[in-house]
Amino acid sequence: MAKIDRRKFMQQSGLAAAMFAATPGAAFSQVVGSSGGFSDYKALVCMFLYGGNDSFNLLVPHSDAEYNVYAQARQGLAVPQSQLLPITPAAPDGIDYGLHPSAGGLRTLFEDGVAAFVSNVGPLIEPMTKEQFFNRSVRRPPQLFSHNDQQDQWQSLKGDAQSKTGWAGRMADLIRSGVADQQMATNVSLFGSNLFQSADETVAYVMGPAGPLLFEGIPADPEDPFYEQRLAFLRILNADYPSIYERGFADVQKRAIAAADKLSAAIASADPFTTVFPQGQLGQQLETVAKLIAVRGELKMQRQIFFVAAGGFDTHDKQNEDQPLLIGGVSDGLKAFYDAMFELGIAESVTTFTQSDFGRTLTSNGDGTDHAWGGNQVVIGDAVRGRHVYGSYPLLQIDGPEDVGGGRMIPSTSADQFAATLASWFGIAAADLDIVAPNIDNFAVRDLGFMI
Amino acid sequence: MYRPLSIIASLAFALSACGGGGGGGSSPPDPPPSVPPITKAEAFRFLNQATFGATEAEADVVIEMGYAAWIEDQMTKPESLQLPHMRSLPPPEFPAQRQTDRVDIWIRNALHGEDQLRQRVAFALSEIFVVSQLGALADQPWGLADYYDTLARHAFGDYRALMEAVTLHPAMGVYLSMLGNEKPDTQRNIRPDENYARELMQLFSIGLVELNPDGSQVLDANNQPVPTYDQAVIEGFAHVFTGWSYAGFADLRAAFPTYSNQVMPMQLYPAYHDGGPKKILDDVEIPAGQSGEQDLRDALDNIFNHPNVGPFIAIRLIQRLTASNPSPAYAQRVAAVFDDNGFGVRGDLGAVVRAILLDAEARPDMSMEIDGKLKEPLLRLTQLWRAYEAHSDSGRYSFAISYIVLGQGPLQSPSVFNFFSPFYAPPGEIRNSSLVAPELQIATEYQNTFVTNWMFYQAFLFNWVVDRNLEPIQEDTILINFEEETAIAGDPIALVDSVSGKLLGGEISDTLRAEIVRMVELIPAEEALARAAEAIYLTVTSPEYAYQR
Repeated sequence: MAKIDRRKFMQQSGLAAAMFAATPGAAFSQVVGSSGGFSDYKALVCMFLYGGNDSFNLLVPHSDAEYNVYAQARQGLAVPQSQLLPITPAAPDGIDYGLHPSAGGLRTLFEDGVAAFVSNVGPLIEPMTKEQFFNRSVRRPPQLFSHNDQQDQWQSLKGDAQSKTGWAGRMADLIRSGVADQQMATNVSLFGSNLFQSADETVAYVMGPAGPLLFEGIPADPEDPFYEQRLAFLRILNADYPSIYERGFADVQKRAIAAADKLSAAIASADPFTTVFPQGQLGQQLETVAKLIAVRGELKMQRQIFFVAAGGFDTHDKQNEDQPLLIGGVSDGLKAFYDAMFELGIAESVTTFTQSDFGRTLTSNGDGTDHAWGGNQVVIGDAVRGRHVYGSYPLLQIDGPEDVGGGRMIPSTSADQFAATLASWFGIAAADLDIVAPNIDNFAVRDLGFMI
Repeated sequence: MYRPLSIIASLAFALSACGGGGGGGSSPPDPPPSVPPITKAEAFRFLNQATFGATEAEADVVIEMGYAAWIEDQMTKPESLQLPHMRSLPPPEFPAQRQTDRVDIWIRNALHGEDQLRQRVAFALSEIFVVSQLGALADQPWGLADYYDTLARHAFGDYRALMEAVTLHPAMGVYLSMLGNEKPDTQRNIRPDENYARELMQLFSIGLVELNPDGSQVLDANNQPVPTYDQAVIEGFAHVFTGWSYAGFADLRAAFPTYSNQVMPMQLYPAYHDGGPKKILDDVEIPAGQSGEQDLRDALDNIFNHPNVGPFIAIRLIQRLTASNPSPAYAQRVAAVFDDNGFGVRGDLGAVVRAILLDAEARPDMSMEIDGKLKEPLLRLTQLWRAYEAHSDSGRYSFAISYIVLGQGPLQSPSVFNFFSPFYAPPGEIRNSSLVAPELQIATEYQNTFVTNWMFYQAFLFNWVVDRNLEPIQEDTILINFEEETAIAGDPIALVDSVSGKLLGGEISDTLRAEIVRMVELIPAEEALARAAEAIYLTVTSPEYAYQR
């Protein structure tokens, strides 16, 4: 594509000469909440691993007895015991653990006490035993083992309800009167629209991996010769349209135009980090989030929820080839992001966590794995009670007490408990936790204790 | 298995005359006794449903022939294919380089193929039976081209035959890992791969829950949807789909992709096929000891005859062609045609396409709030390209970055779940009304900006650079031709009329018309190119252009 020199283009086109009669005017206004305020800053960063991360190869039992059960189950997919990176939980539960050899960054964070694992966690409506799974005596999330349904479960915690909002979206709605001055939406995605941030009252803002794109030809600067075109563009968007599809399209365009210039400028004003982020889209997303956090004051942000993601975790094929890159990418990205937060002196106020569709079968389909249920997730930040494996790590035995077939583990900790623990830290009142995590009351423990 | 289809003109007229009903228990509306002439705006709406973008020339054809005859004429056009073009090119240094040529031939066919309806339906099918160049198929551009050709060949054919062709195509085999899938080895805790088994049912045929004939969910006594299958059924089908790989080898484990076998149906390697009994849908069990081919036929027949397929495929295709939110009656009328084309044949996709396009609900009144749909961004662009005779100096259309610019491109989905979900409901009035707008899922702030900017380059910049000879433009850069507009740019009213006629069928809102005229008048009359570009730019970025009525 031809390189664009917009100045030259405008100077030489008749537009430059003509478009000066600009009348500045707020063609639209940003809608925000109305009252209150937090006295501090907190951010949650969700890293979603699309496809279903095989996290029983990320956090692996290292003790001989448990490792041998794992190796017997996983056969050719087992990480060799000698290659595991040992970790030393502060309060050992009797089992030694190791991490996948490509997770060196995560191991450092764990050993430094700023990372924790929550083991065998997944969507549940109520606690469930294997017997209850087979006699169908307790409610369960519908369409277990299906990608989009289980993504939706993790992102919405809707159980068997028909909800179309996500738990980050509901948190943003709950706090919206407390963050009225924010210059950007509470929920920001760098990986497309998602259910996690979908809400009834607030709207998530979607930017690209490097931030918002600027609009060509409709500049925000009233001095710009193209400014007149911006006003025309906005008048067209603000017209009354008979169709819901036209209105839906126009709404997105209006939000995009309202935010692009301001946010791009804010990101560009962030000081560069000493921390080097990994190459690739995930690293780029995380670096952009770090920059947005760096300029939080300028944007008057008090509570933020970021969504970043990576794909490719659906390792039906060639798992042993692909897994080092997948897990390595996650580990390197999380390490760099933590380091950048440390650099900013804000690691105590930013908590990063992973989610994924599901864990994967312990058994193999030859050279890969299929869709399963429970898995291990990571939580990172200075507000995390780190160097600990939370929850109940299962015995990875085919047909064992947690296996419903093929090495599909019934979660022993629910995604609702995971979310509620993060939500409490974020500032959601105890009375509102069941709005964020609708099934939380079905579980004896509402807070898993991994946040300070 | 390959039941004869009766896609002949007389049948088509018979079907359209009776509204496409038959066997489904619904009563389609009677056609009016005398049909009023088709207006240009109406022809545009129809063509935006049935082609890669309405043009004034094709609108004249529709007005002359009528909708039904136009469809029949289209169905007789020879198929525009991709593989012959791909094979005419010399071997590349790296196979992945040929993905650009694959997208090029896709654009050529989309812009210039005479079989517009077939190409449009093939594109719709490619968003249901999804494979993608993004991933393991990056090195198989010939396989992907042939996969698309397979969809095009079956676009008006038998859904059951399409299912089988897709199942055995090595591109699908690679994409959903049926290729190389082996029978179980219990000693090593190895069981068959469930990927294709699951997605074939969930995404290509019946979906997750039992459907009524109108596509609504069947609810149980507790008001909960009823799953169509469970894990045991997935495992049954996973066992069916064992033993297949690239054709032409002595042993499955020795098979690898070649230039030629990536376009040949997969071959059964019997030693790797599971011979045990297999539980499939509706408590059917495939008996032990059958051949792999017989297992496959029985399994596909089992899915094909599930009552969900009609409403499932009807709604998927309606959403791609005419409406995001079809009424239950519309869905049921089309599903009924899937079930029985009027001659006792199930799965006649040509009849389904006719039923979708000729239904009264596809031709709504002017101002219906929920009728129609948002245009897919790729279709917004192809419509502009068709209306303004897009060309490049080299004759090639270089747009392999489609998925980055538009969030979608031919066989460029990020996953088997397509660019967007059929159930996507954006927050606000659409969700609050329990409606959906799938295309809005990729119309994010970010992606919309990208698309809007591309329209700016397409309308303003590329032609400006060429006109002023500012810098060399790549020989593959796609340029639109709006010389007719530059010639009349001195008259803002004539200019807006011309642009509106070509892009909106003359159906332009007062606001858009006024804003275009106002902006054009701000530009000196001697800057004819800028004036014409301005009119086109404001039109193709407008909500009314994004909307398919």
